[in-house]
Amino acid sequence: MTPAAPAQATEPVADGVAALAVEGVSHSFGARRALENVAFTVHPGEFAVLLGLNGAGKTTLFSLVTRLYHNRSGAIRIFGSDVRKKPSRALAQIGVVFQQPTIDLDLSVSQNLRYHAALHGMSRRAAAERLEVELGRLDMAERADDKVRRLSGGQRRRVEIARALMHGPRLLLLDEPTVGLDIRARQAILDHVRRLCREEGLAVLWATHLIDEVGGHDRVVVLHEGRVLAFGGVADVIRGAGAATIIEAFTTLTGKDGT
Amino acid sequence: MIRGKRGRVVEPMTGRRLGGARGLVFAAVLGFGIAGAQAAGAVTVYVSNEKDNTISVIDGETLKVTATVPVGQRPRGIILSRDKTRLYICASDSNHIEVLDLATLKITRTLPSGPDPELFVLHPDGNRLYVANEDDNMVTVIDLEKGTVIAEVPVGVEPEGMGLSPDGKILVTTSETTNMAHFIDTGTYKVVDSVLVDTRPRVAEFTRDGKYVWVSSEIGGTVSVIDARTRKVVEKITFGIAGIRSEAIQPVGVRITGDGKLAFVALGPANRVAVIDAERFAVRKYLLVGQRVWQLAFSPDESKLFTTNGVSKDVSVIDVKRLKVVKSITVGRFPWGIVVK
Amino acid sequence: MTAVHYLRCLRGIVVREALRFLHQRGRFIAALVRPLVWLFIFAAGFRSVLGVSIIPPYETYVLYEVYITPGLIGMIQLFNGMQSSLSMVYDREMGSMKTLLVSPLPRWYLLTCKLLAGVAVSILQVYAFLIVAAFWEIDAPVWGYVSLLPALVLSGLMLGALGMLLSSVIKQLENFAGVMNFVIFPMFFASSTLYPLWKIKESSLLLYNICAFNPFTHAVEMIRFALYGQVNTFSSLYVLASLALFLGLAIYGYDPGRGLIARRGEPAG
Repeated sequence: MTPAAPAQATEPVADGVAALAVEGVSHSFGARRALENVAFTVHPGEFAVLLGLNGAGKTTLFSLVTRLYHNRSGAIRIFGSDVRKKPSRALAQIGVVFQQPTIDLDLSVSQNLRYHAALHGMSRRAAAERLEVELGRLDMAERADDKVRRLSGGQRRRVEIARALMHGPRLLLLDEPTVGLDIRARQAILDHVRRLCREEGLAVLWATHLIDEVGGHDRVVVLHEGRVLAFGGVADVIRGAGAATIIEAFTTLTGKDGT
Repeated sequence: MIRGKRGRVVEPMTGRRLGGARGLVFAAVLGFGIAGAQAAGAVTVYVSNEKDNTISVIDGETLKVTATVPVGQRPRGIILSRDKTRLYICASDSNHIEVLDLATLKITRTLPSGPDPELFVLHPDGNRLYVANEDDNMVTVIDLEKGTVIAEVPVGVEPEGMGLSPDGKILVTTSETTNMAHFIDTGTYKVVDSVLVDTRPRVAEFTRDGKYVWVSSEIGGTVSVIDARTRKVVEKITFGIAGIRSEAIQPVGVRITGDGKLAFVALGPANRVAVIDAERFAVRKYLLVGQRVWQLAFSPDESKLFTTNGVSKDVSVIDVKRLKVVKSITVGRFPWGIVVK
Repeated sequence: MTAVHYLRCLRGIVVREALRFLHQRGRFIAALVRPLVWLFIFAAGFRSVLGVSIIPPYETYVLYEVYITPGLIGMIQLFNGMQSSLSMVYDREMGSMKTLLVSPLPRWYLLTCKLLAGVAVSILQVYAFLIVAAFWEIDAPVWGYVSLLPALVLSGLMLGALGMLLSSVIKQLENFAGVMNFVIFPMFFASSTLYPLWKIKESSLLLYNICAFNPFTHAVEMIRFALYGQVNTFSSLYVLASLALFLGLAIYGYDPGRGLIARRGEPAG
């Protein structure tokens, strides 16, 4: 558990307000302890990877950040707004791509996006504009009227990302977004989101168990069995674990062989 | 009903005490009655209640009972006088006819009728009353002015139905047991013809143009249409209602609209009134009314048809134009005869 | 978040429900065929007059088909409420419920919008049914169809809220059929749909009490009176109270704090 000095290789840190600040969050499901005193921050322009094996508690954490259930201890703040005290303000600034696909298979791409826009109180005109922009960025513009059922896995994921960005959030949460996709699709999505991070100053929290998705200049939060074992810039974490690569660092920290 | 100056109608209340719900209705009507009577026009329905020995008076606009008048024993057939100021009532068990003054709602005189009068019909001249005496197989003719019996005509067993041709020349009386419709010349009192119909004929009704006589057969379950000139049965109308046993279909009362287009037949325990296209003799539909529907009467403008439902103790009101049953009004026990003025 | 945002959200949710309903044409046909079968086939076997009394709001004797029509309207809304419930459980399993719940608008509002969307769909089904029934001369006064609308909204909300409450309690899609058997059939049969309450009272006081307690009975009576332009005050209030109860419990069920979603947990990840 190394308190990391927030060091960013590219963008300068915008005035201290963290995009996402998790402080002392614990959570149990009955007897099972899912999270134990989790704490970390993500700043605007940072690409933070939440690295952990299956069952580490990544999805539970996401559920708490997106207020699917309440955190009973600690605090979760989105750009300063506590998710429990000011949920409306907090949620308006997050875009989420869940691990489980949450898109309506029977509706078209644009119908799905417009539904999401309406849920965020956007006017139809604003929705139409954003729709064009987001789908264009993901090269999905020509598929706007296709039923989602007919798209491939990779395309559906891209639609979900476009959807998550419709209302212009400054924090993007993605829970295992590349699961089930082939290498090319995975890389495409990863590149796209990193670009958003760089060019738009978006804060990104990318949860995954695939260590090879961690980039050299990212921030990383190592989550294992509900505990944060390390948090900071990738280089710092590697050094702190006395390892040479992130894989080694992970193995050392968790005492397990993570692949 | 009294027609005051300028033809405005005033309905004097009898002030009779009525108990229970009907009392409340009566009190409410009293409140509206004075104001409403002016607007109500002159549509009033009179119903004879066979077991209660009363006549119920119903306001034809508000469709509420406004009075209940005690009369003689077992009142059955009722008829309005030609000037519509009096109601003649067959008081069967009292063996006479009672005359009810409709303005005062009091019995003013009684007339001889022969024994057990059930049904009667009034000659167009307004003076001669032809009464069917059920037990004595007779038709008694009464002079209303003099109050005396003019003639007694022997007919078939158990006469009931009485139909008078519009010109008053031919009287048709049905005989329940011999299943006949007897055509009687009213001038000579001779039976000029007898037509066989189906079992237990009850009612004989002429069409307004005098061309046909409709005779209902209660047990036979049919209505025979007889050509008045040739005196032959030209059509026999049968009835069938899904889900109702054919034995329950017992046609009794028959009424035909003045233009001869629609005929209505009460079907007794089938609890329905059949609506018949009178030109094609085809049944159009069945209207659900109360239990054991017996007799029918049109309002003067034929916009409404009122039925007496013997077992359910009420009168059903049918909107003739829309062919829908609008309401059912509770009266006395076993309502039998009905007239509307 | 201003009023405009709220309205846009409502519109979005209603549009989505409408689109889903239109895509499932089979559902619409089934929703229409079900009450029609009851009306024409079942009622045809009961052609006698309903006892000796005239039941308010009717002013004369009515055929059995006319009597059960309000009950069949209630049936359409009951099934629709349960169908919405099923969709919600499905959404939860399939993930689209999350899309709804991460909206910044208050959760009680989102759930209420979903409820309203479901009611709108059920109202369409009811009028479609009434149009078909009218062709068979089972109709009501013209203004009755208009005065029916508020009653439909109220009863639709109550039954939809009941469905929502059930969906928050049901863990899995497979359990749905079992729960429905415990809900739909008792609610439907122990009510004034098929027989007037005074007739039930004659045979069993206990059954009569159950029927009088059943909120579905009151929904049906409210609809019956509304179809003739009258208001059955007691039944309407009973439905309103039931609606408040069910909706309150449903919102409680979906509340992230106490939430039953929390207690059941998510797939480990």
